[in-house]
Amino acid sequence: MGSECIECTISKIKMNLNKFKQAGRSVIFAICLSVSAQISIGQEIDILLKNGHVIDAKNKISAKMDVAVSNGKIMKVAANIPVAGAKKVVDVSGMYVSPGLIDIHTHVFTGPNPGFGHGSSSVKADDFTFRAGITTVVDAGTSGYKTFPVFKEQIIDRSRTRVLAYLNAFAPGMVGTAAEQEDMQALEIEKADATIKKYADHIVGVKIGHYSGKDWKPFDAAASLAHANNRPLFVECHITEFSLEDQLNHMKAGDILTHSYENVSERMPIVDDNGIVRPFVLDARKKGILFDVGHGGVGFWFNQAVPSVKQGLSPDTFGTDMHHNSVNSGMKDMLNLMSKYLNMGMQAEDIIQRASWGSASAIKRADLGNLSEGAVADIAVINVLEGKFGFLDAGGFKLEGDKKFQAEMTIRAGRIVWDLNGISGVPWSKDLK
Amino acid sequence: MQNYFKTAKNISLVLFLALITLNVSAQEIDLLIKGGHVIDAKNKINGKMDVAVKDGKILRVAADIPASSAKKTINVNGLYVTPGFLDIHGHVFHGTEPDNYLSNSQDALPPDGFTFRAGVTTVADAGGAGWKNIDLFRKNVVDKSKTRVLAFMNIVGGGMRGVETFEQDKTDMDPKLTAASAKKNKDIVIGIKIAHYIGHDWDPTDFAVAAGKIAGIPVMVDFGKALPPLPLEDLLLKHLRPGDILTHAYRYDQEFDKSGKMIEHKQAIVDVNTKKLKPYVWEARKRGVIFDVGHGGGSFNWSQAVPAMEQGFHPDVLSSDLHTGSMNAGFKDMANLASKFLVLGMPLADVVAASTWNPAKVIQRPELGHLSVGSEADIAVFRLREGDFGYIDASGMAIRGKQKLEAELTLRNGRVVWDLNALSAPLAK
Repeated sequence: MGSECIECTISKIKMNLNKFKQAGRSVIFAICLSVSAQISIGQEIDILLKNGHVIDAKNKISAKMDVAVSNGKIMKVAANIPVAGAKKVVDVSGMYVSPGLIDIHTHVFTGPNPGFGHGSSSVKADDFTFRAGITTVVDAGTSGYKTFPVFKEQIIDRSRTRVLAYLNAFAPGMVGTAAEQEDMQALEIEKADATIKKYADHIVGVKIGHYSGKDWKPFDAAASLAHANNRPLFVECHITEFSLEDQLNHMKAGDILTHSYENVSERMPIVDDNGIVRPFVLDARKKGILFDVGHGGVGFWFNQAVPSVKQGLSPDTFGTDMHHNSVNSGMKDMLNLMSKYLNMGMQAEDIIQRASWGSASAIKRADLGNLSEGAVADIAVINVLEGKFGFLDAGGFKLEGDKKFQAEMTIRAGRIVWDLNGISGVPWSKDLK
Repeated sequence: MQNYFKTAKNISLVLFLALITLNVSAQEIDLLIKGGHVIDAKNKINGKMDVAVKDGKILRVAADIPASSAKKTINVNGLYVTPGFLDIHGHVFHGTEPDNYLSNSQDALPPDGFTFRAGVTTVADAGGAGWKNIDLFRKNVVDKSKTRVLAFMNIVGGGMRGVETFEQDKTDMDPKLTAASAKKNKDIVIGIKIAHYIGHDWDPTDFAVAAGKIAGIPVMVDFGKALPPLPLEDLLLKHLRPGDILTHAYRYDQEFDKSGKMIEHKQAIVDVNTKKLKPYVWEARKRGVIFDVGHGGGSFNWSQAVPAMEQGFHPDVLSSDLHTGSMNAGFKDMANLASKFLVLGMPLADVVAASTWNPAKVIQRPELGHLSVGSEADIAVFRLREGDFGYIDASGMAIRGKQKLEAELTLRNGRVVWDLNALSAPLAK
């Protein structure tokens, strides 16, 4: 064990030298020493989460169970796993233990440009993930095939959050003004296709965004590109020339509509003037089209969401549309967004399932969003707070509620990356230095 | 992302219609924050008061300002109303320069996502930029942030771009050039930073102080390592001036050699064996040296903070040392850090003072950190939650506490920029 510990220390020193500043080395070394002093040979559980309510939809588990993590992977999920033999035991009684949540709509391509692509309107991938129980995000087309290599090198490879992406059908990604993005002559399908194939582990779909032209060619080309690669088309556009019904008709089962609950002039809202969800929208769901929240700064309205949930159009996924403006608005973070639906009447378990296994399924990544034995140990420990809360929508209106999700602890690949209340910490006493 | 212009038009139309249906006569107040407990150290207010905002400025702080005189009233009964917090030790010079640490690189953070949600309205970057790249810092960070961003400029011309290499280069530490650049950029530069110097000599510290003298601004020291360690006593009593700042005040470095023996390369303020604050630290405080928290990922230890606080050695200033290594660790955000000091027994009014008026004085910005009439309306509203909370330090050790501060509402320049529970919003129909 001792030599492993030193190795882990060395690799962590390399990783964290800058991040933890000068003290990083000494702190990690100190932790390592204290851990090695407490363990004996033959123990294999690194972290044991005890007494939580495990929600793992893929494995049809919703029950009080323990979760054992070893070597960055799920070792075992079972009732009453003995604490003897575990290096660290964390009591999570009264909390939900979920696969790490997946945010299927963010913008994390930060950089010096104005706007989103390699720009200042994007947010850094790690800033709002772990503290909200998220371990995987999907960047929604902030890069196109021309910029994806930079995105890969600067963002995907340097983030601790798992970063995936829908490739923008528009070759440069989200650059400049919205008008520039509408120039869909810049579609270069063959090159985009090659990029998807080259980065198959990271590109999970194709995005069409901000297109408002007069014909369906670019839209259909993007859809074909996605479907030919067995991936969803992620739709974030307001094709003012056509109706929402037309748009849904051009999508296939498994494709994803985002900003589902928006109420803006550029796109027909899903709820009609009488508060009824339009029948063709419900038909689209039956057909298998997925509805993502995509909250953002202006993409979520209670006058859409409240009747929709009542009439059976709950979101399939809780994409945040995280960016520089939405992060301090009504959106805030994914758990805040999920809490809105908790207070609109959806059940906590249902919401957590959709935010984990449901979201993994939407992006066809069956390796994620579950706690199967051997799966990567991405785990969220989630509390439901009770109290008096308020939630804001894009129109500046409030919904009052009495429940709110809170991320107590997040584990990414077997490492604790967030611990709100120090439940994994060693209790301090004055005898310690 | 959507078309903001079109939507903005719609929203403004709605607002306009809403306004003309109201009785606007005699409503001189834009926003009235009503029923809260105001803590304003500069103006010695610690009691129930209302705060009126007009044209982005504080119009009045008084008891029982009538709601009828305001266009909009936010009820904050049971909450604390303070000046927006100042965080004088952040790392916000984010960028994409590879392997450039906290200078236009990836370990630094865009400020807005970490400030408003913790009640912070002003952040000072602690030495990310030097005289060579302060212009880029202004363009990429200061001008693009909604948070007010200031800077301690690094004595290293190229900024904080690598501990073991660039930050050791004495040939890139020029007091005159640094001071000249600081003066030229005095709207944003409020101090000089010296950090991470590993050599067993005082040159870099003295260079920083020389630059501080020329520019008339304080120096912040992140005391580097040396073997044997440089005497902290000499730093505090001989090299720093009154008004200069020791950051990472409660840090306890534990580094071990191969045999497990601890290496002392930096001296702490508390002797961990006797658990007593070293006498020269008291002397330094009497001299006017400022002690700043600078929590960071590895710079706040209960083994220092608990005995120091028990002996009455409270920090002058609370600050974050915000970067990618601290944001998800024990630090989390400024409200969490403030909560730690509540748990350590520091009175709320003192915690607020150490996050508002004290840092404003330290950085010589007396226009900030208070709610005087006519000052910019940077305001934070906090809830003091009661419950069972836990707080971890840099070594992963936890202390339980019964209180936690949470930022409910933040105003920057009179505008609501954070509203956790939609206190400012009408109910959805």
